[in-house]
Amino acid sequence: MAEWAALAWFAAMLRSATPLLLVLLGETLTQRSGIINLGVEGQMLVGAVVGFAVAATIGGPLVALVAGGGAGLLLSLVHALLCLGFRANQMGSGIAVWILGLGISSYYGRSFVGAKVTTFAPVLGVSPVIWSAILLVPLAGWWLYRTRPGLVWRAVGESVDNAHALGIRPRGVQLQAILVGGVLSGLGGAVLSVDYTQTWANEITKGRGLVAVGLVIVARWNPFLALPTALFFGFFEAAVLRLQAVGLEVSSYLLACLPYAACLAVLIAVHLSARHASYMPEGLRGVFDAERRI
Amino acid sequence: MIRAAGAVALAAVCFLAIAAAFFLLIGKPPLQMLGTMVLYAFGDGYSLSETLVKATPILLCALAIIVPARLGLISVGADGQLYIGALAGTAVMLAGTAARGWWLLPAVLLGAMAGGALWGGVAGVLKARIGVNETISTLLLNYIGVLLVNHFVYGTWRDPANLGWPSTIPFPPEATVPSLFGTRVHAGFLIALVGVAAGHAWLVRSRFGVELRVLRENRKVGDMVGLDYARNAIVTMAIGGAIAGIAGICEASAIQGRLQPGLSLGYGLTGFLVAWLSGHSFVWAAPISVLIGGLIAAGDALQLYAKVPAASATVLQGLLFATALAVAGVARRQGARNG
Repeated sequence: MAEWAALAWFAAMLRSATPLLLVLLGETLTQRSGIINLGVEGQMLVGAVVGFAVAATIGGPLVALVAGGGAGLLLSLVHALLCLGFRANQMGSGIAVWILGLGISSYYGRSFVGAKVTTFAPVLGVSPVIWSAILLVPLAGWWLYRTRPGLVWRAVGESVDNAHALGIRPRGVQLQAILVGGVLSGLGGAVLSVDYTQTWANEITKGRGLVAVGLVIVARWNPFLALPTALFFGFFEAAVLRLQAVGLEVSSYLLACLPYAACLAVLIAVHLSARHASYMPEGLRGVFDAERRI
Repeated sequence: MIRAAGAVALAAVCFLAIAAAFFLLIGKPPLQMLGTMVLYAFGDGYSLSETLVKATPILLCALAIIVPARLGLISVGADGQLYIGALAGTAVMLAGTAARGWWLLPAVLLGAMAGGALWGGVAGVLKARIGVNETISTLLLNYIGVLLVNHFVYGTWRDPANLGWPSTIPFPPEATVPSLFGTRVHAGFLIALVGVAAGHAWLVRSRFGVELRVLRENRKVGDMVGLDYARNAIVTMAIGGAIAGIAGICEASAIQGRLQPGLSLGYGLTGFLVAWLSGHSFVWAAPISVLIGGLIAAGDALQLYAKVPAASATVLQGLLFATALAVAGVARRQGARNG
């Protein structure tokens, strides 16, 4: 009995961690090239609405996820255009993309409120999407640390000027990095609506994309660490659902604060450790300004 | 100055073109829609008053973003500060509603300012002491702020007389921000205008303003001449929070008459947009807030009369922000080339 409860908890944790894991991986790769994108929240939202729309009309979860990733990619082009084309402030541009995604998703989501979709048959107790997302982690890590293109991305993230001197076209690399982040955030959004909740709600992501931008710091810009970080967040989301189910005498609204409070708490803990700043790609320092000042 | 005016005109033209394209895309006649929007925003006394009703929280939220931005901080926390301000102000109202008096409204306002200042100050302390990025911390605090208000209005503060509708008891007249000229426009608008003047005088034109500017442009120089970045980060974030807190209590008392969920209709993000469009200038934030307030009020009217979904106003805001960022980029490049 106790074992079943533990397993159920673990499965709930995996389910809620998966959309976040995908966004977190994408944002990690984007930031490794020296670009921060708060717009992942909006990209997740359009990925979620397009994925859900495809699943509800054309059908087929796989097509839906591909469509969601494509939607995220398209919206991330706006961030690329503003940051790379017009050299806009990255924080400002990300928030513009977020507002756009928020508006577009609630505009097209209106007709899907209350609809239900079906997803893949479970493999080993949970959706195969979850196992695929987990497999993506070593793949992204291997690609970033062990291949030549990965090295090039990291070089651009450390210094655009040095990369340029080495004959790399840094803006091209950053464009790719933003688009990869776009695909993964759109995919994460589609996984959320098509595979996890299987219903549509306005602003369905509830800040997961923004949480992911914060958790990139906690994961030290390392794709391998994205997995435990996403699971940590998933643990708290699962806790919210489980504790409500057992009828704990705490208001559901206080419980719902838990994931955000936990994210803030780990951010604080990470910043209290003296070495954390050394993990940040140098190219982000100007945008992020994480200098330690006491 | 001429160049700046040119950039504004270019941004306006680009935005109108994109907005027209958006209306075409959703199958509405673009020119007629744009004309109708201007009419619904500024056409008569009632439209104008609704525009000012929307502009008030937007301007206050924009000020809440601009104050820390004078130090170079990018706060997105106006929404959370608005909610916590309303929460704290409502707590004062609930505590003082038995012994009413003239003092209740000032106490409620101070409570709201303290609540907002606390929420902004938390992000300020985290930034100043351990370097947590303020954009990320304020975004997270926004979600917690909204949920905390829900916690109280669905819980201990729910008025049983509401038959299940989650909200507090109505604000008594002694605790309500008064309305102006018998319209829905309230004194919060005057407070916002005072905030514009005070902000410009104290945070731009004074010695303190120069301090902030030195620290913003080169923190090392600021450190060398003995300016305290950490203290100023906390102070500006807290002042910004206090201003957003006023927006919260005005919405709760004067507009909704009680504290209930859905207090802010994205005013925090819209305020962020206004702050950015104004170039973080207090003086420019006021007219831009009225323009954007008009856009949102017209969006509400269009939703009623032309069946244009409310989300369109959000899409238009996103397009406006993206256009402004792009045009600013072009202007900067031109400036670099000519100068």
